[in-house]
Amino acid sequence: MSEPHVEEVRSLEEEALHCVRCGLCLSVCPAYRNSLNETDSPRARVALVRAVREGILDAPDDAYASAFFRCLLCGACSFVCPSGVAVDRILELTRGELAGRGLLPPVLSELDARIAQYRNISAEENEGRLIWAANLPQPPSGLGKEEAEVAYFVGCVGSFFPRSYKIPQSLVQIFDRLGVDYALLGGTEWCCGYPLFINGEVERARELIEHNVAAVKAMGAKKVVTTCPSCFHFWKHAYPAALGVEELGLEVQHATEFLADLLETGQVPLREIAETVTYHDPCDLGRKSGVFEAPRRILRAIPGLRLIEMAENRQGSHCCGGGGNLESFAPEVSQSISRRRIRQAAEVGAETLVSACQQCERTLSNAARAERLRMKVKDVVEVVLEALG
Amino acid sequence: MREMVGLLEEAIGAGKVLASPIDRVAYSFDGTFEQNLPEAVVLPETTAEVAAVVQLAAERGVPIVTRGMASGLAGGAIPTPGSIVLSLIRMNRILEIDRENMTATVEAGVITSDLEAAVAKVGLFYPPDPSSNKQSTIGGNIACNAGGPRCLKYGVTGDYVMGLTVVLADGRVLETGGKAIKNVVGYDLTSLFVGSEGTLGIITTALLRLLAQPRFARTALAEFASLDDAARTVNAILAAGIVPATLEMMDETAIACIEEAMHLGLPLDVEAMLIIETDGSDEEAVVREIEEAAAICAANGARQVKVARDEAERASLWRARRSVSPSLARKAPNKLGEDITVPRSAIPQAVRRVKEISARYGLPVVVFGHAGDGNLHPNILFDRRDAEQWAKVERMVGEIFQVALDLGGTLSGEHGVGTFKQPYVLRALGPVSVDVQWAIKRALDPQNILNPGKVLP
Repeated sequence: MSEPHVEEVRSLEEEALHCVRCGLCLSVCPAYRNSLNETDSPRARVALVRAVREGILDAPDDAYASAFFRCLLCGACSFVCPSGVAVDRILELTRGELAGRGLLPPVLSELDARIAQYRNISAEENEGRLIWAANLPQPPSGLGKEEAEVAYFVGCVGSFFPRSYKIPQSLVQIFDRLGVDYALLGGTEWCCGYPLFINGEVERARELIEHNVAAVKAMGAKKVVTTCPSCFHFWKHAYPAALGVEELGLEVQHATEFLADLLETGQVPLREIAETVTYHDPCDLGRKSGVFEAPRRILRAIPGLRLIEMAENRQGSHCCGGGGNLESFAPEVSQSISRRRIRQAAEVGAETLVSACQQCERTLSNAARAERLRMKVKDVVEVVLEALG
Repeated sequence: MREMVGLLEEAIGAGKVLASPIDRVAYSFDGTFEQNLPEAVVLPETTAEVAAVVQLAAERGVPIVTRGMASGLAGGAIPTPGSIVLSLIRMNRILEIDRENMTATVEAGVITSDLEAAVAKVGLFYPPDPSSNKQSTIGGNIACNAGGPRCLKYGVTGDYVMGLTVVLADGRVLETGGKAIKNVVGYDLTSLFVGSEGTLGIITTALLRLLAQPRFARTALAEFASLDDAARTVNAILAAGIVPATLEMMDETAIACIEEAMHLGLPLDVEAMLIIETDGSDEEAVVREIEEAAAICAANGARQVKVARDEAERASLWRARRSVSPSLARKAPNKLGEDITVPRSAIPQAVRRVKEISARYGLPVVVFGHAGDGNLHPNILFDRRDAEQWAKVERMVGEIFQVALDLGGTLSGEHGVGTFKQPYVLRALGPVSVDVQWAIKRALDPQNILNPGKVLP
C-alpha cells in the first residue's frame, strides 16, 4: 500500500525472491526487537512466503497465519530495505490470501463482521457517531450542516472511544475559533475500510469506500480532513485505487497539514506554552504518507514550546504498538512495544509526548502509566487548542 | 528429537525452545541463499543455559549450529542436517564499560552498532565496523573475525578481543584472557576462538579493548572515469605516508545500485569511486591529510573530489557504503559475494582479472570493498533458478579464488569460510595446515557436534 521502492509492481513471488536475507530489517522491526525471535521478523515472514511456494512448508495453517498477524504493518522494514523489497506489500497480499483461505484469526474475523454489520469497529449504532459533541460548551458549527467546504472525517476511534473524544472535540473548537467552514458527517460516516483491508478483506472494504466518497461529495465538500492517520492514509492512497480512478476529485488532508498552513500565516495569536515536548511520528502519517513536517511546524509555531527529537524519528520512527490490528490479535505484544517507545521519549527528557493519532495517544498513555512515568501524552490538536487560549 | 525438545524445555524453559514448522523455517537461513531446516531452535539467556544445552546435545551427539543475527555471507550459520540452532541474540547485555582500563565486557548477542553507540556516550571507541553493524552481533563478529572499512587503520575484530567466555563441546565453561594488556601465560586461547565460526566452542561473553574516540574526521568522495586509475590511486595515497581510517572503492554497478536505493545524487557515468576518511585528535592534521589525499586523487586521474561538508553528508555517504551489498538485489535475484584479499600493490591487477572473468562468462561481477587493505568483494549477480547461470557461477567462484591465490592473497578477509569457501581451503592453506587445524578441532570437539561440516575441508 505504501509506495513500493521499485517502479514496476512485482508479483508476490518476485517480491519475495528479491530478499537477500541481509537482516537489516530486524534492526528496525518493533515486533522482532520486542521478542528477539527471528520468527517475528520481516525477513522470516518473507522466507515463510517462499517456503510455501517452494514446498518446504505445507499449505498455510493457523500457526503460519499468526506469523503474519503478529505484525504492526508499520512499514519500517520496507523503508529500510536496501534491496527494495516492499515487505509491507508482501504482508498485505499474504493477509489477503489467508483471509481467502479462511485463516483470519477469529478475533479479527469478528472485527470484520462487526464493521460489515454496524459500519464501525465498535459495534455501536452508527447514528451515535457524534456523541462526543454532546457536552461541548457550544454545539460545533459543523453539526447538522448539509453543505460545507471541508468534511471532517472523524474516524471510528475518535467517534466511539470516550478516551479519544478530546481529539474531535479539540479540532471542532479550533475550526470554530478560526472560522473554518466545515461539516460533520455523523451517521453517514462509515468506517474508512482500513481495518478490513489490512485483514485482507479488500472486497468488503470497497463498499465502505464507495459510500464514504459519495457521502462527502453529496455535501459539496472540496476537502476531507481527518485526525486519524490511518483514515488519512487509506483515503489518500487506497481510495483512488479501489475506485479505479487517478484522482478522487477531493483534496485529502490530515488535520496537521490543514492547521500548519493556517497557523503559519501569523494571523492567529498563540499563547505561550512553556513545555519540553517530543513528537512521535505515527506510522500511517509519517513513514507511510510522508507527513513529517506539518506537525513539527505547528509545534514550532507555539511560543515557549521546546521540541526535542527522539533518536528514532521521522522515517525511522518506532511504532506506538497500535498498528496493524496487533492490539486486537496480541495485546501483550502490542503493550510491550508501546512501553519501549514511551521509554525512548523519557530518555530524551520530554515532559510531554505529542502525537497526531488517537491510536498512538491511547497506546502510549497506557504505556506511560505502565512504566510509571510522569509523561503527558497529547494529540497535536489538543496542544493547538491550549495555545489558542 | 521430540524427546530432545522436551529435555531442552526442562533444562532452560519452554519459552526458549522452538520446534514448530514455521520456527524451523525462520531459523533455516543466513545472509546467503542457502537453506536447511534445523530440528529445533534454542534461545538461551545465560552462559549456564548454553552449557546445559550443550551438555544435552553432547550426550546424544546432536549437532549445534550457533548464530547471532544470521547475517553471515559464507553459509556459516546454515543449520546442518539434524542440528539444533542455538541463537545467542537474547544474551544482549553490556555487562560493563570500564573507562579506566578502556574495556567493555559484553554478552555475545550485543548488536555491534549498539556497543559502538554505548561506548561513544562515554567518549570511547570500538573501531571494528562491519557493514552489517546493525544486523550482526559481537559474538558473530568474533566468530568470523569480522572486519570493516576502518580495519585499514584500526585492525580487525580480533585485534580488540582481550578475553572470552566459551562453552566447550562437553559443556564445560572456559575463561580466556583478562584485562591485563600483557599476558603470555600458556597458549593464546583467545585468538584460537577468534574466527573459529562456532566449530571449536560457543562464545558467550567477550572482554573487548576500546580506544579513545577520535575527535575529528573528514570524508572525501573521489570520482574516477577509469577503474584502473582508482585502483592505482589507493596505493599512491598509502605510499605518500597517509594512513586514512578508511579507503573504500566501489565500481560503477555498485554506484548505480546505491543510487537507485538511496537517491544521493551519485554520478552514474564514472567507472569507480573512492571514499576516503581521515580521523584523529588533531583537527589540522586530519584536514591536511584529507587534502593531500584529495590532491593525490586529482593527480591520478580523478574527475572530481568532494569533501563532505558536514556530519549529515558524511553519515549519508557511509549509509550508502553499507548498503552496497544488499542493494545489489536490485539488479538480479541472487548474488554471491566473495571476500578475497590480495597484497594491496596487486589491487589493480586483481580488479582487472575479476572483470575479465565476468566478461568471459557473461555474468556481471560488481567489485567494491576495502581497497586500502587489499580486501575486495567481487559479487557475482545471477538468477539461481537458471541452471546454466548457476553452473557458470560455480566455475567463476573457483577462478576468482585462484586470482587471489595467484597474486599472493587468500579466500577471505572478513566473512569467514562457512561452507561457501570450504572446497578451496586446502588449496589456500596446504595439507600441513589443514592437518594441524583438524587436530585442534578433534581435541576440542571430539564428537564433531559444533557446527559440523563448516570451515575445514
